[in-house]
Amino acid sequence: MKDKLIDRHIISLIESGPLASLSESDLATIRVHTDHCSDCLGAFQAAQVSAILLKERASEVFEPSPFFHTRVMANLRERQAQGTLAPLWTLARLWRSAGALASTMLATVAALSVLTFVIPGNELGPASQPVTSLVHNYSAEEVILDENAQPEEPLSDDQLLTSIYGE
Amino acid sequence: MRRYSPRVFRFASKFFRQRSLVEEAAQEVFLKAFTELGSYEGRGSMEGWLTRITTNTCLNLLRSSKRRPELVASDLTDDETAWLDSNLAGAAMERHQKSERSLVAADLAGRVLETMTPDDQLVLTLIDGEENSVKDVVDVTGWSESKVKVQAFRARRRMREAVEKLLSRKKDEL
Repeated sequence: MKDKLIDRHIISLIESGPLASLSESDLATIRVHTDHCSDCLGAFQAAQVSAILLKERASEVFEPSPFFHTRVMANLRERQAQGTLAPLWTLARLWRSAGALASTMLATVAALSVLTFVIPGNELGPASQPVTSLVHNYSAEEVILDENAQPEEPLSDDQLLTSIYGE
Repeated sequence: MRRYSPRVFRFASKFFRQRSLVEEAAQEVFLKAFTELGSYEGRGSMEGWLTRITTNTCLNLLRSSKRRPELVASDLTDDETAWLDSNLAGAAMERHQKSERSLVAADLAGRVLETMTPDDQLVLTLIDGEENSVKDVVDVTGWSESKVKVQAFRARRRMREAVEKLLSRKKDEL
C-alpha cells in the first residue's frame, strides 16, 4: 500500500513539469525510489527519452527561402484578383484605424478644453474677484483713502447690544 | 515581411518537419496578417501579434491533417531502434545532455508527436522542448493558464506512455 502511494507520487513528480525543471532533491528522490521500483524506473526512463526527443525536435529550424517573399506577394495579388481580398482593403482598414485615432484625439482635446476653461472658472470664482477688480477704474487714492465709502450711520445702544448678543 | 519571416518560420518549424509545410504555414500567416492588419491596434508588439497568428494557423493546419495511428516498435527504422537502444542502455540525464543532437532523434520525436493531438503537440513542443513558460503559451494561444497547465500535464503523460510502450516492446524483443 505504502509502495503504491510512493509509486504514484514518483510518477506525478515526473509529470509535474518538464524533466529539466526538476530540482536536485526531486531527482534524488526519484533515483532512490527507482532503485527498487521497476515500474517507476520504466516511467522515468521513458520520461527522460521523451525529454530528449522533444529537445531534439525543438532544435530543428527552417529558414525562409529567398523566393518566399516573392511567392507570398504573388499569392496576395492572385487572391486580390480573385476577389478573396478586397482591392482597397488596406485603405479601408487604415481609414478605420485612423478614424478611431482621430475620434480619440478629438475627445481628448475636448476634455482638456473643459478642464482648462470651464472648471477653473467655476471653482475659482471668488478667488478671481481681485483679478476682475483690476479692470475697474479705481485710483490709488480712492482705494487708500476710501473716499467713495458710504458714511456709516451710528448704531443705537439697543442695536449694538442686539448685534453682539443676538435676539 | 522580410523582417518577421525568419521568426514566423522558426515558430512554424516547431509544428512541421517538412519544409513545404512550414512554408505553407508561413505563407498563410502573412496572407492572414495582411488581411487582418486593421485588427492590429498597436497593442503589444507586432512580433507577438504575428506569433499568435502563427500559432492559430499552425494549430488549424495540424487539426485539418489526419492524425497518425499509434507508433509501434515495428514501425521504427533501424536508426531509430539503434537510437532507442543506446538510450536504454543508460538513460542518465547528464549523458543525454552532453550527447550530440541527432537527426534520428528529431525524426523519431516528430513521428511520436504526430500520433498526438495538435494541442498536445503545441504544449509539449513549447514548454518541454523550447522551455517556454506557461505564461508564454497563454500569450500565444489565448488559452487560460489552468488549461495550459492541465494540457501540458496530460500531454506529458501521453508522450511518456507512448515512449514507454516503444521501450517496453523493444525490451521484450531483446
